[in-house]
Parts: sequence; structure tokens; C-alpha cells
Amino acid sequence: MPSMLVIQNLQARVEEKEILRGISLTVNAGEVHAIMGPNGSGKSTLASILAGKQDYEVTGGSVDFDGTDLLELDPEERAAAGLFLAFQYPIEIPGVTNTYFLRAALNNVRKARGEAELTMTEFMKHIRSKVEMMELDPSLLSRSVNEGFSGGEKKRNEIFQMAVLEPKLCVLDETDSGLDIDALKIVANGVNHLRGEGRGIIVVTHYQRLLDYIVPDFVHVLMEGRIVKSGGKELAHELEAKGYSFIEEELAAAR
Amino acid sequence: MTTDLRAKEDTFTEIFNAAHAVLNTLADGRFADVRERGIHKFREYGVPTHRDEEFKYLSLRNLNETAFQIAYGATVSRGDLTHPIVAIDAITLAFVNGQYAPELSTADTLPDGVYVGPFEELPFEVDQAFEKQFGRVANLVGKLGTTNDERFTYLNQAFFADIAVIYVPENVVVERPIHILNLSTANRGPLISAPRAYAYFSTNSQAKLIESFIGLEGNYLNVPVTEVVLESGAIVEHVRVQDETLAATHIGTHAVHQDASSNYTAFNVNFGGQIYRNDLNVWLNGSGTETRLDGVNVGTDNQVMDNHTRIDHAFPHCNSFEVYKSVLRDNAQGIFNGKIFVYEDAQKTDAKQTNQALLLSATAQMNSKPQLEIFADDVKCTHGATIGQLQKDALFYLQARGIPKAQAESLLVYAFANDVLSRISSEAVRQALENRLFDKLEVA
Repeated sequence: MPSMLVIQNLQARVEEKEILRGISLTVNAGEVHAIMGPNGSGKSTLASILAGKQDYEVTGGSVDFDGTDLLELDPEERAAAGLFLAFQYPIEIPGVTNTYFLRAALNNVRKARGEAELTMTEFMKHIRSKVEMMELDPSLLSRSVNEGFSGGEKKRNEIFQMAVLEPKLCVLDETDSGLDIDALKIVANGVNHLRGEGRGIIVVTHYQRLLDYIVPDFVHVLMEGRIVKSGGKELAHELEAKGYSFIEEELAAAR
Repeated sequence: MTTDLRAKEDTFTEIFNAAHAVLNTLADGRFADVRERGIHKFREYGVPTHRDEEFKYLSLRNLNETAFQIAYGATVSRGDLTHPIVAIDAITLAFVNGQYAPELSTADTLPDGVYVGPFEELPFEVDQAFEKQFGRVANLVGKLGTTNDERFTYLNQAFFADIAVIYVPENVVVERPIHILNLSTANRGPLISAPRAYAYFSTNSQAKLIESFIGLEGNYLNVPVTEVVLESGAIVEHVRVQDETLAATHIGTHAVHQDASSNYTAFNVNFGGQIYRNDLNVWLNGSGTETRLDGVNVGTDNQVMDNHTRIDHAFPHCNSFEVYKSVLRDNAQGIFNGKIFVYEDAQKTDAKQTNQALLLSATAQMNSKPQLEIFADDVKCTHGATIGQLQKDALFYLQARGIPKAQAESLLVYAFANDVLSRISSEAVRQALENRLFDKLEVA
């Protein structure tokens, strides 16, 4: 079976600043990859570029998603193709209710997949178990998207949306930041529910903490726009114990 | 230039000379002197230019270049009424070019003492209420302000034909909305029409008023004046919808008088007009009043949408809250001037004014001018104006969830306008306006 996501030598910059300097990464269906790295290493940039944010200029390399050139697609086409980005900073949209927004999103994605759109009743049925799983206060559904949500509610809302849209490839951008331990467990539980089923997951995080709950199959360390080390889940523990400096030292020694 | 203007003033006078004999056959000539004073006063000022402070950003040169005729005798059939606001279930009082149209009005059984109809032989109480404030609510004499400009009130006074009269007696609650439907059609050349309305809500009465200006055809000048009186404790929600033809010029005056402890909410929603201008003036005549003025303007093509509002806080302990929003595309131009006068005695005034514009093209523009003049020392008055484009981050967020760009944009425009529209109490009215909004912006 061909790989779901193949990133080859991806390079990107913002204005004159190079941020990604040649990233290669392959994700197969069913795998969970963690991408770790210090602040400013390019982790979030990678996540944003995969989702199609316009602020970055891709200067080289390629991204193949299920046989399609991902970089050629508009953000909504990427979502329709099955890619989901859980935002590090979810956007507040006053005046649009969460339910309206999510149903519009789901129906667009379903339409793209050739599935029938859901009526309001069918939609409410579809989301009920997911609301419970994410322990969301149901009143949040009728409120404006993310408006006045606490940090934890926003992150849970992201994973809730992911559960509703059932994407093929989930990209979590620092979903653990700003979460207390209870919220972290809820978020991890939501993600673990989506594990398997031919789904790929990329967890972008600064800390190992989240990976205690979402145990990755592979861990990659991103520094200065390159993946400098890859390994199994034990690499995350090593980073936790020794900090990122041990890799810097290894790299220095190798030069 | 001066001679041109003089010539034009004479043209309005000419129209007047030709028309007033016919107009004075209405209501037994009761308003003959009023009309005469109107044209006389208008002639003193003439058509405004950029040098007139209250018309600084609004060009009305077209008024000098158009040969308007008096509007009289046009008819409209029900089949032509496709506007969504017309479908709203309401006690409807219809006018065509300022002339009462009984065939388009509804004959309803009204609660005891309530009057909804044209000015004619009024019941005694209604006539008294009419005499009390007619022409006075719109008058700015004796009120603060150094640039007060009433010339279009005078022009209406010269040309109005029938008057929509609404009267609700003390303690009466009218459940069904009352709709003053103003239709304009100029299928035989440019017209001038001057709809006039007078609505009187007695002590502790409650009602919902819809007032619409719907254009059917052609180029015309519409100069409506609406006067609204709330006696103490009255509660009124007033939705005003302006959807003239894109060739029309609409210059309206909407004046409100609020006695103590009354509660008035106005939604002013505008879609139409080549040139739209409205002056909404609210005089707070007692303590403890609540006033909410909300507006939504949706301008495209070369439309100009100019809202002037003024609130006179003349008594202590009154609250006013105002949010005006504009969505402008193509070469549309928006103007907002929001005056709040706080008189010397009006301590503990709480007034908040917000003006926001969303520009959907590089060539749309907005001029916003808050104007707070405060003569009391213990008050809370704030104002804020923002002019911006659709938030890129929000757009990306919606797209990243699978919502196509065009739909995402319309969703954000909807959200912007809906912040105001969602406060309209009637679901049917809200829905009609939302549909019109989407229709106008040609988005699904």
C-alpha cells in the first residue's frame, strides 16, 4: 500500500527568512508521528503549510497526499481530501455559531467525498457521542465559534471538530499548550479514539507530556528547519530527560 | 454656479406651483399653509453643496441636473410586490409614491382605540395626538448644534400628499407588527415623492413598527419624513428597510420624541438607492429612557449610503446605545456622522456609539465621524469606529475546515451584519432581511 503522506525536501520561507530547510517525512496509514523541537524550529510552520496557510512561500520540495500534489490544493480542497489541522491558536468567529459552522464544514467535506449532506437532525445525531467524548458543555455548540471559550475549551473544540469531520490525516499543532492535566487527558482520549482505522496522525509538540497519553510510533526532532533525528517513542523520553541541548551537542560532535 | 442653483430652486418652485393645487384638495386643504411654508423655507437654502457642513461628503449635484415631476396617480399591482419584507404578516398601510393605496393595504380589526390609516377625518383622540406633535418632532429649532440643517424636512413639507397615521392609546399592546409600506415607481420619467408618517404611542403602550421604502422602477427623488412619539413608558421597536431602485435618491428624516421611561429601538437597514441619506434624530424628553439605534448598510456598485444620527440627551439618567455597520463593495461609499448632545442638566447620561465598516473591495470607502458634544460633567459617553476588511485568519480557519472561500467570505459578512440583525425580535423580519442581504451580495 502506498504511503499516505510523503514530504520530500520541503523548503519554505516567510519574506526573506528561511524556516524549513529541507524536510522529508513519510506517514503511513495507521501511524502516529510526533514532531518535537524547540521554539522557532519550524514545527508550526510545517503544520500550517500542510493545511495551506498563505503566509509562507514554499521554495522547494514536494508534498504528496494520497497520490495528489497537496501544495497545489486550496485549503478547503485539502480539508475535503481528508486533511485536518488542529490549530495552535483556534480563531474566534463572532456571529457564527459553532453548530452552523461545523455543519457547513461537514457537509462540504461530505459533498467532496460524494456523500449526502446531513440535515440538522442527522447532524445533531452524528455529533452527540462526540460531544460526550470531548466532555464539551453542550451550550458551547450554540455559542459563536470559539468566542469567549477558555483555552482548554478551544483545544477540546478543535479535537471535537476533528472527531466530527473524521479526516484521514490529523495534524495537531501544539494542542497540548495551555492545557491542564485533565483537559490534556480528554484531548488525548479524543485523539486515541481516532487512532488506527487507516488514519495518519502527526502530533506537533514542544513537550513530551502529551506523548505519555498519545503514544507515538515515531518521534522526529526538528531543529532549524530540518529533521535532525528520528526514533521510536523512547526518543521523546530521552529529550524530556536531557533537553534539546543533547541533540545539539551530538550534531556538533558529528560535524 | 449660483445662477444654476437659483434656476434649480425655481424648478422645485415650479413643480410646487404645478402641484400644490392638487395636493391641497387632500384633507380639505388643511395643510395648504404648511406646504407653502415648506417650499418657502426650502427655497432659502436650496440644494446643498459640499460647503454645507451636513452634506460635506455627499454630492447631490444630480438634483440640479434632473427634471423631476410631481408623483401622482401611479398604481402598483400586488403581483409586482416580490420584496421579501412585503410578505411579512402585518397590519399593512401601503402608499404608492406617497399616495395612499387602499388596495394594497390590509383591512384589519384593530384593538380598541388603535388607529392605523391615512390622515382623513380622524377620531377625536387621534386628532388631538396628531395636533400635539405633528411637524414638531422633526423640528430642530431650540436644540443644540451649530450646523442644524432641515432643508429636506422643508422639501417634504412642501410636497407630502397623504400621511400615514398610527395611534396606539394608553396601556394598549399591539401584538401584530404595523407595516407602513412605501412603494415608489417612476415608469414615466423622474419623480419627486414625499412620504409622510406620524406615529403616536401613548403612555405604557407597546408596538412593533415596520417601515419600508421599496423601489419598483426608475429614477426618483424620495424625501420622506417620519415622526415618532413615545409617551412615558411606551415600548416601541421600529424596523426601517430602505430598498429603493439603484437609480433613486432617498433623503429621509426620521425623528423621534421620547418621554420619560420610554424604550425605543430602531433598526435601520439599507440596501437600495443610488444615493441614500437619512437623518435619524432622537430627542429624549424625560429621564429614564432607553434608546437603541442600530443600522446595517449594504452598498455595492456606485451606491452612496450616508447615515446621520443625533441623540439629544436633554434629561438625566438616560441610556442610549448605537451600533451602525456597513458592508461596502465595488465603488460603494459609506458615510456616518453620529452626534450625541448631552445637555447641561443631563447628568448620569450613559451613551455608547459604535460604527463599523467592512470593505470588500479596494475601491469601496467609508467616512466615519463621531461627534459628541457634552455639556454635563457626570456622564459616560464612548464612541468607536473601525473600518476593515475580512479577517484573513478567520477566512483561513473556515477554509481549513472545508468551507470554500466564497462561502467562507459570505459567512463572515453574514456574521458581521447579523450581530445587528439578530437583535430584531421578529424571526420572519430577520429572515427576510438576511435573505435580501445574501441576495444582494450574490452569495449563497
